[in-house]
Amino acid sequence: MQASEQDTIAAIATAPGEGAIAIVRLSGSKSLELADAVFRSKGPRPSARAGGTFVYGHIFEKDGDGGSGKEKIVDEAVLLIFRAPHSYTREDVVEFQVHGGRRSAARVLRLLIQAGARMAEPGEFTRRAFLNGRIDLVQSEAVMDIIRAKSDRAALLAAEQMEGRLSHYVGIIYDDLLLAQADLEATLDFLEDDLEQTVIQGIADRIAVAERRMKGLLSSWNEGRILREGVFVVVAGRPNAGKSTLFNHLLEMDRSIVTRHPGTTRDLIEEAMTLNGYPIRLVDTAGIRETDCEIEAEGISRAQEAIARADILLYVIDASVGPNGEDHKVISMTSARKKIIILNKIDIVQPNVNELVPYHAYHDVVLCSLKTGHGVQEIREVILRSLSGMDAGESHCCIAERHKTQIELALESIAEAARIIQSGEEEISLSAACLRDALERIGSITGRVYYDSLLDSIFSRFCLGK
Amino acid sequence: MRLEYDVIVVGAGHAGCEAALACSRMGVRTALVTMEISAVARMSCNPSIGGIAKSHLVYELDALGGEIGRNADFTGIQFRTINTKKGASVQSTRVQCDKAAYSKRMLAVLKNEPMLEIVSGTVIEFIVEEDTAKGVRLQSGVSLKSKCVVFCPGTFMNGMIHIGKRSFSGGRNGEQSANEAAKNLDRLGFSCARLKTGTPPRIRASSIDFSKATEQRGDEPPPMFSSEARRIYRMFREEHLDADRTMFHVEHSWSDLMPWLPGWRQMVCHITHTNKICHDIISNSLHLSSLYGGSITGTGVRYCPSIEDKIVKFKDRDSHHVFLEPEGRDTDEYYPNGTSNSLPEDVQIKMIRSIPGLERAEFTKFGYAIEYDFCDPTQLYHTLETKLVRNLFFAGQINGTTGYEEAAAQGFVAGVNAANVVLSKRPVVFSRSQAYIGVLIDDLVTKGTSEPYRMFTSRAEHRLILRQDSAKYRLLSMAKCIAILKKETIIETEHELDEISREMARLKSTYKDGATLAQMLCKKGMRYFDLPGSSQGIGVEGALFIETEIKYQGYIERENRQIANIAKDEAVQIPKDFDYESIVALRFEAREKLSRIRPSTIGQASRVPGVTPADVAIIRIALRRKTEVVH
Repeated sequence: MQASEQDTIAAIATAPGEGAIAIVRLSGSKSLELADAVFRSKGPRPSARAGGTFVYGHIFEKDGDGGSGKEKIVDEAVLLIFRAPHSYTREDVVEFQVHGGRRSAARVLRLLIQAGARMAEPGEFTRRAFLNGRIDLVQSEAVMDIIRAKSDRAALLAAEQMEGRLSHYVGIIYDDLLLAQADLEATLDFLEDDLEQTVIQGIADRIAVAERRMKGLLSSWNEGRILREGVFVVVAGRPNAGKSTLFNHLLEMDRSIVTRHPGTTRDLIEEAMTLNGYPIRLVDTAGIRETDCEIEAEGISRAQEAIARADILLYVIDASVGPNGEDHKVISMTSARKKIIILNKIDIVQPNVNELVPYHAYHDVVLCSLKTGHGVQEIREVILRSLSGMDAGESHCCIAERHKTQIELALESIAEAARIIQSGEEEISLSAACLRDALERIGSITGRVYYDSLLDSIFSRFCLGK
Repeated sequence: MRLEYDVIVVGAGHAGCEAALACSRMGVRTALVTMEISAVARMSCNPSIGGIAKSHLVYELDALGGEIGRNADFTGIQFRTINTKKGASVQSTRVQCDKAAYSKRMLAVLKNEPMLEIVSGTVIEFIVEEDTAKGVRLQSGVSLKSKCVVFCPGTFMNGMIHIGKRSFSGGRNGEQSANEAAKNLDRLGFSCARLKTGTPPRIRASSIDFSKATEQRGDEPPPMFSSEARRIYRMFREEHLDADRTMFHVEHSWSDLMPWLPGWRQMVCHITHTNKICHDIISNSLHLSSLYGGSITGTGVRYCPSIEDKIVKFKDRDSHHVFLEPEGRDTDEYYPNGTSNSLPEDVQIKMIRSIPGLERAEFTKFGYAIEYDFCDPTQLYHTLETKLVRNLFFAGQINGTTGYEEAAAQGFVAGVNAANVVLSKRPVVFSRSQAYIGVLIDDLVTKGTSEPYRMFTSRAEHRLILRQDSAKYRLLSMAKCIAILKKETIIETEHELDEISREMARLKSTYKDGATLAQMLCKKGMRYFDLPGSSQGIGVEGALFIETEIKYQGYIERENRQIANIAKDEAVQIPKDFDYESIVALRFEAREKLSRIRPSTIGQASRVPGVTPADVAIIRIALRRKTEVVH
């Protein structure tokens, strides 16, 4: 059968694995008909019920080949009925809540497909919501973010975006630019002598406001990325300082191989974890030292790359050896927003606190013994403190990679527009071309087009003659 | 008079004349039906051609073989380039014309066309069989048959003139309206509405005190629209620069076709201003104006507002410009541009006489407002053929536009496509990235209009490419395909274009003092002819084109990229009979709009107001499914 937008689609909506309940979702014009076919309850059949209601009953299956035999109860279920357009997809939607676990849900799905539903493709419910005009482009991206969200906080952010928060904010920037553009176009298309000078200043002011807002939005990108992809936490240090031990402690499992031999970890080892709801990408790296071994050298260069782009650097120093110039060099390589110095092996030796003075001034320093696990909890707390500093905060909305690219290009364009206007020497029609480009880019984030509104905006504000 | 033609053009205004000339020049037998032969190509309102964005249309028409540019140049009495400081893309030519000469010359041009016949008469009905136009019936009882009909009625359909509280039926002051044709369109099922426009009074030159106004002179050398007028002007300058100018008189005899040497002996215009007294007179008489007294229901022109509009909507301004423009060389009439109104006669006199320089103004005509019918242009294809009646084309004000240039552009496109039907050739359609003509027609047929539509450069998204200096080069291939333009002109332009591309390559590859000549040209104030080794083969126009292409290079490249981005959508055709009703996923509003407008490509569909990107995505999926079924 060929996939079609007209088909009624079905899928298990809950994540695989054990859970109290599992949900099977149906969407399409035949949803209620299909529900009638597999579900029995007291009172009217599902298709005779109103939208926005739920009903308790049983899933039935017919015995024997071809379904000729008598019906048998498969499972008990609660049915949720949504009627178009008041549903997620704007189509008729039925959700079956059945007992948790894969098997029960899979059986309901099989029955629905036997009755004529088609297996939904990944993301198809959301695609229908978009195609049916329920959500705009930004919102549908947000849905995908929620689905992929690695942590509670990321889900929250995606939920806000879904409510149109980013769309709203982008809309404000768009309107700023549109007004500037309308003024600029008016000076190009009309020859009123007294129009120009006052208007030009107004245009420059409007552009400046839009520029500020766009930069604000852009700075939220990093915050958005952290929440979406996880904070990049890199464990680094010289060989045999105890990096892999720390890595395993934080993960609460033996992931990296720990030996007494320096240079055991050769490649980057990355694992996902969450800390109080924050998503984290934790990376263990090769110890940094001079080496002739080609494999180790490659590992070290990868480690250096990871260190360079870390959000948080956990730098482990062997207290029995003490810090040296190499350590300084490595720590200064990173652009991490937070650097935490971990002084390990205090069970063997009392660290010389004087040696640590230069570190205290700029970084958090934690004394610990990773062998005994002493101090690991403190490391977690320090990480957590750093994370809350990176939080997007409630008033921000975050942008994704696609938005970022468009905003950056738009910023370039309006910077050029502003430069041309301020120079007062170059041809102002070029400035209009730049602004137009910026408007198209910003408009493309939410899918708006500006031509219709432009002239209205011009005519409502200027008296234009000959 | 014959009884059968290939194409009948109804109405001999600015649209009708271009349509009739295009058809006859393409070799099909054409009739031009007009109610009044002496009113051919009459300038009913302002005595000028061009201005911002309108001038672009005129250059494009000249590049394609239209007449309007030549007609303006040969009858011009003042030539100016306006908007010069803001960039080459918005720079425009404006030519003040001698109204009588303009009309006379156009009549002579029409009479010169062997395949064209001018027929005097009033059309009362279209002959339509099986939804196809077959000719027209005249008031005299005569029926004329044809394969195509191009209808260009201007403001004559149910025209209603308003002066103060008085209103009467008329197509133009002193001329009858044409109401039967309007009734006929209604019967055929066209949806029509009312629009309003207006014109100022006319003043006797001898009654104006010009000493109180500021002079405004034409440019020297005079900027012109047409290659032909420029060539004649150049020839004269080169051959007779030092000689006595009267020599020209000896060698050439003046005629209606060339009433004087184009660009020669320019006249002066003047500027004065309204003042507080003038504004008070208007404010106190608003209840007497037809516009504000309530007798007009049609929508007016926002960007060419009546003086009542200016006073009401822009209260904070205590003065507005009034341009005093001569209507011709031999006439005593002046056009006080900026004073269009529908006030009663006595108020008009008081109001005009409160303006400096016009204290003793004598009126030759009073200003008036006119309401007329137009047909919703979304009922047309891009060829300007109607969707309801095959082989029937509409052009000009009937489609909701205002302006001679907008009318001429539509007339040309309708004429060419009517001739193409007769010749069984493929339709000619201009894209938005190709010409202002394309922007104009795409806007009309895609979005419709609720007010008189005027061209602006801000309507064109590819403004930097659609310059007036680039018109003849960018439209060369279209001109060849339409084949109205003289062979010599095409060959000459091709030759220029070769020369230009060679020269541009040289500028980019020749170094002087560590920079290419192209880089040198980008410096402020630098002109092509300042460069070492500039070629004499490049004319003034070619030089302007080279300068602009090189100075704008980065911007032009960006526009070209944008065009390439949308080109894919513009190439995806939607079948004429595509069934939007069957796509349940489409929102009701989108389904209704798309079924009515029937866009021909995905690109056009995306420009239909009320259609969202999501709707376009759905159509795309539906189209793909349709083609999959076929294969």
